[in-house]
Amino acid sequence: MLFLQTTLNGLVLGGIYSLAAVGFSLVFGVLGIVNLTHGIFVIAGAYAAMVLYARLGLDPLLAMLPIGAVLFAVGYAYQRTVIQWAISRASLVASLVVTFGVAMIGRNLLQLVFGPDTHTITPSYSFSSVTFGPLQIDVVRLVALGASLVLLIALALVLSRTHFGRAIRATAQQPLAAQLSGLNVRNLHGLTFGLGAALAGASGAIIGIIQPFSSASEVAWTLNAFIVVVLGGIGSPAGALVGGLLLGLINAYTAQYIGPSLTQAAMFLVLVIMLMVRPNGLLGNAFGESR
Amino acid sequence: MNRSLALLLGLAAVVVIAVLPIWMGPFYTRVAQLFFFSAGLAIAWNILGGFSGYWSFGHTAFIGMGAFAAAHLVGQIGPVGSGPWSMIVPVVFAGLLCGLFALVIAYPILRLRGIYFAIAMLGVGQVVGELVNNIRWFQGGVGVFLAAPVPAGMPPEDFFYYVFAALLIVCFVVSVLVRNSRFGYALLAVREDEDTAMMLGVATERYKILAFVLSATLVGTLGAVYGYSVGYFTTYTVFRLDFSLNMIVFCLIGGIGTLFGPIIGTAIMLFLTQVLLSRFLDIHLLITGALVVAIILLVPGGILGAVKQKFARRAPAAKSVEA
Repeated sequence: MLFLQTTLNGLVLGGIYSLAAVGFSLVFGVLGIVNLTHGIFVIAGAYAAMVLYARLGLDPLLAMLPIGAVLFAVGYAYQRTVIQWAISRASLVASLVVTFGVAMIGRNLLQLVFGPDTHTITPSYSFSSVTFGPLQIDVVRLVALGASLVLLIALALVLSRTHFGRAIRATAQQPLAAQLSGLNVRNLHGLTFGLGAALAGASGAIIGIIQPFSSASEVAWTLNAFIVVVLGGIGSPAGALVGGLLLGLINAYTAQYIGPSLTQAAMFLVLVIMLMVRPNGLLGNAFGESR
Repeated sequence: MNRSLALLLGLAAVVVIAVLPIWMGPFYTRVAQLFFFSAGLAIAWNILGGFSGYWSFGHTAFIGMGAFAAAHLVGQIGPVGSGPWSMIVPVVFAGLLCGLFALVIAYPILRLRGIYFAIAMLGVGQVVGELVNNIRWFQGGVGVFLAAPVPAGMPPEDFFYYVFAALLIVCFVVSVLVRNSRFGYALLAVREDEDTAMMLGVATERYKILAFVLSATLVGTLGAVYGYSVGYFTTYTVFRLDFSLNMIVFCLIGGIGTLFGPIIGTAIMLFLTQVLLSRFLDIHLLITGALVVAIILLVPGGILGAVKQKFARRAPAAKSVEA
């Protein structure tokens, strides 16, 4: 029974990991950039949800919409300026350093505004739970999982069904050919990055209600996103879901059966093994063999 | 550069370093001490990241491991020898332990390239810190003491000034020797095109591992001495993301993969952050981050790279000389 409960907890946690990572995965798959600012977007989303809830009483789940919109704009502007310049003037690896630098700036700014303490958001439903037979689950976590799945499915539909999604996939596969077919690749890169940032911010709003966060936890969220992508595969919502659920399970089992202080080490061990055995992830690169 | 001229300049630098603390106040001695420490780290990072192109984002793991190894050795067996010489055994032990650890993780981790290696090292830094913090035996959470055996009658900042200066010279000499050896050329070949180098018969795997171990050993040694210089530290004093970042940034600003780049970059950055902006400690990360972004966007090759380019433009016929 403990095993089932642990599995359930792991899956719920995994759903949130998936959502937090899917934006990172998209940017990695389409632009080829490892965005080390990703964790900042997540934590910024959490802080924004906290402020909106404290000042306006806006429910964090509803706050996802304005937060996503703002972060979309921020992400678009950020990609079109700083990241674009870094790639054109230096190299793709330089973008890694630039995003690391921007993450430092963001972390410092968050620290100045909100202080170094950890925060949590506690909406009215945060202490109730539901039971399925012998299994128990917090309402907050259930809601968070539901919201994550809805957003992931929406993203999958956008990518597979709409013109915008097709354009993104085409750009990821063959930037030059996409451009020759009349797509504005630079604009699409900016939009993809914005979408990634928006999803990260939305996931931050959810993370805020189920886990304590501080400006220092951004590194952990960036690393988590990277691990999820390496486990599941690059660029697709399905890959992010598989990777996220796996990561959640690893986390839950380690905490339950080995020791809660060793979760990071276990996750990291899996990352290294995975990188050596199957570097493309379980589902491979969603955008084909072009890279 | 002419060999005897280089020797002469080096000797002059050593003399200047030796007599400077007589005139400098304690504050500037401390800044200089930090400069020697950071420049040593940057040079050690540069041996791996600059020469072979494997950018580690987690070298702080070795600073922390070095410091904790020295503290625990002293805690277990007590000081070996007396006076300042009692530092030698723990510091060497810490360096070797870091080298050994690097050797163990080198084989799996160096199979990863580019971004994957960088992130994996970021993870190593994070995880080692976490383990030291959470496993009770290491006492990372409560902190450990490492008393500095400063000779009587000498201010501690002067003592560590000289110790770090000596270490910087060691790091620099090692870096010069590596750069001018077969080993160094092999590393450059790995950086430029690893597959071609391998195809041409360069034992890339072995050289990469050697560079990684060497770099880790130097950083671990510096970390152990850093532990002595702070006296008491917890996990968060020595496993710090900004240490990892600084090593990269200093090299980046001076010029990655050059001999003097790390030293020049460290000097510039420390002058900016410690002397000019010393009153704004709470926005330290912000300034560092902003400078990183500015450097990448404005002078991607670092300061030495920019200078070299200027000379190349002025005298296009002259052969470009590696610094």
